[in-house]
Amino acid sequence: MTHTINLNHITKIEGHAKLFVEIENSKIKKCELSSIEGARYFEGLLKGKHWFEAHEITSRICGICSCGHNVAALMAIENALGIPVSEQSKVLKKLLTFGERIRSHAAHLYFLALPDYLGYESALAMTPKYKTEVKRALKLMKIGNDIVRTIGGRDMHQVTATYGGFLKIPTKEQLNDLADRVKGLKEASIETAKLFLSLKQRPAVNECEYFSLYEENDYPMIDGPLVSEKSKFDKDQYLDYFKEYHNKYSTANFVAKDDVSFVTGSLARMNNAFDKLSIDAKKVATDNGFKIPNKNPYNNNVAQAIEIVDALDQVMKICTELDPVDEKPPKVNVKAGHGIGAVEVPRGTLFHEYTLDDKGIIQHANIITPTALNLKNMEDNIREIIPSLLNLKDEEKINLEIEKLIRAYDPCFSCSTHFLKVKWHKVLTKS
Amino acid sequence: MGKPKVGVYGLTGCAGCQLTIIFNEDEILDLIDLVDLKAFPFIKSHNEDETFDLVFCEGLVASNEDLVTLKKVRDKAKILVALGACAHTGCIPAYRHWTLKENYEHLLYDKNHDIQDQEPTPIDAHVKVDFTIPGCPPDGKEILNFVKDILNGKTPKKYNNPVCIECRRNNNDCLLIEGKPCMGPITAGGCHSVCINGGFECWGCRGPTGDANYEAWINDLRSKGFDDNFIKTRMKIFAGLKMEESAFKILK
Repeated sequence: MTHTINLNHITKIEGHAKLFVEIENSKIKKCELSSIEGARYFEGLLKGKHWFEAHEITSRICGICSCGHNVAALMAIENALGIPVSEQSKVLKKLLTFGERIRSHAAHLYFLALPDYLGYESALAMTPKYKTEVKRALKLMKIGNDIVRTIGGRDMHQVTATYGGFLKIPTKEQLNDLADRVKGLKEASIETAKLFLSLKQRPAVNECEYFSLYEENDYPMIDGPLVSEKSKFDKDQYLDYFKEYHNKYSTANFVAKDDVSFVTGSLARMNNAFDKLSIDAKKVATDNGFKIPNKNPYNNNVAQAIEIVDALDQVMKICTELDPVDEKPPKVNVKAGHGIGAVEVPRGTLFHEYTLDDKGIIQHANIITPTALNLKNMEDNIREIIPSLLNLKDEEKINLEIEKLIRAYDPCFSCSTHFLKVKWHKVLTKS
Repeated sequence: MGKPKVGVYGLTGCAGCQLTIIFNEDEILDLIDLVDLKAFPFIKSHNEDETFDLVFCEGLVASNEDLVTLKKVRDKAKILVALGACAHTGCIPAYRHWTLKENYEHLLYDKNHDIQDQEPTPIDAHVKVDFTIPGCPPDGKEILNFVKDILNGKTPKKYNNPVCIECRRNNNDCLLIEGKPCMGPITAGGCHSVCINGGFECWGCRGPTGDANYEAWINDLRSKGFDDNFIKTRMKIFAGLKMEESAFKILK
């Protein structure tokens, strides 16, 4: 007997995607997760543009991680042209990406993931009974947006960060105000972590390599080599480790390393750098039984919740310690060059790579997003989990579990390419 | 009258405009109480597509799926709103019109795939659009005010003054005078000059004002050393297919 699971349009994810699974005699013959987003060809559009246009254009790849694209493009061009970057500029870039991590995780956890666990179709439907939780989500999203707005001048597609520096530097008063307000939300972040740590997760093991950037002194964000349990390599070597391949059913890039399944994202960061989390983030995790290494893919949600606690602590620390000086961005000497930028965006590791000619015109651009990196692993895990789900019998329940798994990865199909809607077809064949 | 039935749909885009609705963190729950939100697949699993009083549509048409969705929502919506620059102008993805095929063609992996490419176009190239909320992304409060107007039976007004009016009011130093290729004089405002407040020149994301002096602006940029190719690219990159043809005639 042949079953097909055909989720034509997956909801509550960023972007549009569909899933097709074919099961014959309890064996999975096909499992294809694909983007159904129209192609936008960003890399093609970048060819022939000036070096100083890359960050503004690529910010538009994604609404929810616009800061990440922005910062990755800035770093890649800074590397290509040897633009000096002050310590203050590095710290301000981090603030932007921490603000984004907070708003993105809060939006994903409460609006896209939590309704599945509580048995609602949306966070809006949850509101009458779970008003405290929904309001908490909105407060966390707001502080994330306010951080981005204060540092970046705008909550989406920020404008102040530029090559080597910032066009406008926040004042000490603004940073103090942010620190105070972030402090006021600390309890909300702890409650969020506790809530997600208390959810019952389906047992599952994602045996693969967990990759993230690694920083000696900080939890991974915008610097350092790539690491996993087994490997360590410079970000410039990313294409040697992450092979890009094209498949027949999607506009997104799929990547595999030595054909070994691997994943990036919150859980990977946590597996690689748990000890670098803030004291309170570590405490809430260990007090509530979170163990490292953690290989249950559903726990990416839990890792995101813990990361919000850490991000608030980091923002408080930076805002308290930084005494901003009004420095101007450096003058840039345009020359031929090649550079790579890597950033830990909310969903995992993001790479931007540019080659410039001697007039600073972009000759080649390569952008690899975490969802593209994670897609194969998502498929592998869906394939893995389906046999245990078939006992559930009820199609709706099976679909919900698959969607929960996909949402735990917090995929962004806008970046790679958009939702999930579930439609079952049963084909009876002679067997 | 009961609560208006509202839908929010996304075509090909970055989801930023849909997020901008939700990022009205202090008002979003009250707003949702005032309407009957029938469909918003980005944040809802149950989406009813019967008939709508009001539909916000984000994104541009870049695939056959987009076109099917767009035509379906147009048929079911009394009022269709183009939300944001992609729906309004085609924004950055529409730059494909002026890009050599060889630069991007290889990036599409499967030419026989059931998702077929469409010429990247703003939504009014395919269906009648009743209102446009411009910007990449629009200002969140602008979306709230739009809904308030509709709820109060008022016709939402289009802001058509150039960005420079708000920019002067915000006391910014003129970036054109500083030698930056700012599009403020030829771009519709309503954004509170948010980019220029942050020290970054306007890239024209809200589309042309309509009665701008293109010649004076182009000559000013030329005098600052920007060549016609650069100026042309800037005029197209966000304003997309809405930049006036007459403006390009001045350029070589």
